[in-house]
Amino acid sequence: MKNLILTLLLASSLPIGTAAQVRYEDIVKGPGADWLTYAGNYEGWRYSPLKQITPQNAGSMTAQWTYHVPDSGGLRTNPIVYKGVMYVTNSNSMHAIDARTGRLIWRYDDPQATKKGVNRGSAISGDSVYFTTTDNYLVALDRQTGALLFHKKFGDVDKGTTSTSAPLVVKDKVLVGSAGGDSGMRGFIVALSAKTGEELWRTWTVPAKGEKGSETWSDLHEWGGAGTWLSGTFDPETNTLFWTTGNPWPDFAGGPRMGDNLYTSSVLALDLETGKLKWYFQFTPHDVHDWDAQSWPVLLEIQWNGKPRKVVVHANRNGFFYILDRQTGEYLKATPLTDNITWAKGIDDKGRPVLVPGKDPTPEGNWVCPSIKGATNWMGQSFNPGTGLLYVLTLEECGMFTLSTQKPVPMKNFAGGAATEPGGQVYLRAIDPKDGKRVWEYPVGNTSRTWSGTVSTATGVLFSGDDDGHLIALDAKTGRHLWHFNVGDSLTASPITYEVDGKQYVAVAAGTNVFAFGLFEPVPSMALPKMTTTK
Amino acid sequence: MRRFIRNPVRAPLALFFLPCLALAQHGQVDLKAPDSLKNPESVAAGAKLYATSCGGCHGPEGIGGRGPNLIKRLARNIPDGELFATLRNGLPGTDMPPTSLSDDDTWKLAGYLRSISGPANQAVVPGDPANGEAVFNKAGCAGCHAILGKGSRMGPDLSNIGANKPLAAIRDALVPSKTDPSKNYQLQGAEGVKVTMKDGSTLQGIARNRSNYSLQIVDQKGDLHLVSMDKVRELQVKEGSPMPADYGQRLSATDMRDLLAYLARQSVRSAK
Ligand code: HEC
Ligand code: HEC
Repeated sequence: MKNLILTLLLASSLPIGTAAQVRYEDIVKGPGADWLTYAGNYEGWRYSPLKQITPQNAGSMTAQWTYHVPDSGGLRTNPIVYKGVMYVTNSNSMHAIDARTGRLIWRYDDPQATKKGVNRGSAISGDSVYFTTTDNYLVALDRQTGALLFHKKFGDVDKGTTSTSAPLVVKDKVLVGSAGGDSGMRGFIVALSAKTGEELWRTWTVPAKGEKGSETWSDLHEWGGAGTWLSGTFDPETNTLFWTTGNPWPDFAGGPRMGDNLYTSSVLALDLETGKLKWYFQFTPHDVHDWDAQSWPVLLEIQWNGKPRKVVVHANRNGFFYILDRQTGEYLKATPLTDNITWAKGIDDKGRPVLVPGKDPTPEGNWVCPSIKGATNWMGQSFNPGTGLLYVLTLEECGMFTLSTQKPVPMKNFAGGAATEPGGQVYLRAIDPKDGKRVWEYPVGNTSRTWSGTVSTATGVLFSGDDDGHLIALDAKTGRHLWHFNVGDSLTASPITYEVDGKQYVAVAAGTNVFAFGLFEPVPSMALPKMTTTK
Repeated sequence: MRRFIRNPVRAPLALFFLPCLALAQHGQVDLKAPDSLKNPESVAAGAKLYATSCGGCHGPEGIGGRGPNLIKRLARNIPDGELFATLRNGLPGTDMPPTSLSDDDTWKLAGYLRSISGPANQAVVPGDPANGEAVFNKAGCAGCHAILGKGSRMGPDLSNIGANKPLAAIRDALVPSKTDPSKNYQLQGAEGVKVTMKDGSTLQGIARNRSNYSLQIVDQKGDLHLVSMDKVRELQVKEGSPMPADYGQRLSATDMRDLLAYLARQSVRSAK
């Protein structure tokens, strides 16, 4: 057989696998049968044009397969699908599975990684799939066989940095963020060569001493945080990346870091080629509630004063929904995302919060809304061009914020205090992105456990997860319930949808498994092929 | 399963041997290994002790005999303290005897067992890796395996083999035991297959996965094919692993040693 394999050429081959490559233009086009980037398209829409599942037939969806991810728990991976193969990640490992059947094709593990942690997924380009290890290596694997192409370090665990987010591939660059801001680190976004992993540019999200913006820190800025632990979005027209940043450190103790603390809890617009900052907008200057800004900026064109305008919309953990000009970062509008906001009276016409005095954490504890978990979080939001609505999971919860009197020590996991999450109500809300108005809402349980995001389709079906471990389907126009399925575990990742061999699937990672669903079809009895064993 | 069967036997005996078993109790599992555990001299001394007192039962390289294959058994990574206690006290109720070695020698033995059961890149593997690389290319390994993007992707990637597998498993892949296949590690179930579809076309390569209902094949070019069994007329499966089993005869002892030294060092984390 060895010789047979080596000498005989293929008489025929199936379409999958042959010479196809993921090109930049394929990702720009947005999802079709495949799901090629974390948020579906570069603009961050999590929207699919697939039409097999509709509000009329969604009720007859059934489970198609389950894949168990060994040694996992609370999976946060967002699957990528290309040509019938699904890529899912766990801590320091990637699994390629047959997206029609859930069978494992290959698996890559890095048992030498010095840290374990959550991982939000992978990226694909050319014939490579990419993911990062928790200890900051970018790993490139051959998409078909899992063969290792390169393995390049881009960050330093000894400086408090770890990696959790899915890389974003744009043209010849793989963009990677940084995590660890709750125990002191200096955030960055780094562009690495998609071919070799070589560093092309690095933009620090906290300026160095003497650099512009460093005057917004009284001290500690070399450990100032501003992690970038969620993938960003990209505007192909202007070659601009949009990336949100995390909280300043120490999270709850503002005293040692007086000032606005740029560029924490902000959105940054960066030039793809150079990493240069085009503009920034800080949502929460001098954040003392660990709200950060980790929910990706969605790129839209809306009607503004009767004219179309390219904007960035952003649902922020601090409780407000923002509309910014995409070219300049100019503040246009903010509206409350949640009903309970006690730390600010509103947002002024420059975009700065109008603070309610006395809401900082105190040694005795201070009751503030939203809670530390935020009015929303990194769970994927989606925009549906058919309904014109943005779907965001929001949390109505308040919490106690206490201040510690101890001296902050970087990398000792000292956040400068503590915060409670007493429990609240999660609502899936449909928001009109041109004015921030709430169009409908759907309560998704009351344990505030879900970290599931959303995906919506051209037929107006919206998928998400609820607090009780159900994957749910709603009518995207009205919020009416269409379907639910109990996956038996908390949902900690966002669903996606894709198509193979003419069948539409919806997949989601939950707990220790990946599940795929599709419309019910009776399985025809199938005769097994004639099988022979040869020497 | 083994543990499950063994424990009930040990429990009543434990009461009887209480004083000498004290060390085996879980409090001692935290017992800390000396820092010298991994140093080459200590491991070499451990190897000598092993050859005289243990090899008779566990096989010359730990791959089993009257006693179990220690490399497979220790893959579950038991704590240092538990390993020490097993060596010191034996496993009452089984053939595994206690030893009267000093603490120091017992740790050296433990260090040796760790080195043979742990990843190959952490063991002391003699040989000339540069010649090993030449052998790898000459012997046609790259016709089926890739290392860091070089070579064919039909077989498993070997870029990280030294970090993923103990030396014994790598050796086994190259020189499988003919007399006792149960001692082999290599078999992960990869199969050479040839498929004839209902439309008459054919496809062949190595099956990464095969069930009654679907098949995932990587062909010689390294391209992946997803096959639904309902489209297949005939499936030919080659007996045994597609990995050639005769390198033991084809390569000289020196070349084999050097090839192992080369493979043992394949780790994506080493400074290369
Ligand atoms: C007389 C034969 C014999 C000799 C000599 C012997 N062993 Fe064993 N050993 C066994 C048997 C049999 C077992 C399996 C016991 C069981 O689990 O049923 C065992 C188990 C073990 C285990 C436990 C593996 C596990 O699963 O945790 C270790 C470690 C071990 N032996 C190491 C040694 C070392 C080191 C020596 C030399 C000092 C040695 N043995 C000498 C027969 C022997
Ligand atoms: C005809 C193709 C072919 C050739 C030539 C070949 N191998 Fe293999 N090899 C395989 C396949 C297929 C497997 C997987 C076997 C299995 O899973 O049963 C394998 C397995 C292995 C493994 C174990 C991998 C693991 O992850 O456990 C090693 C090590 C290895 N081969 C080394 C070599 C070396 C060294 C050579 C050259 C001296 C070589 N192979 C030549 C096809 C080949």
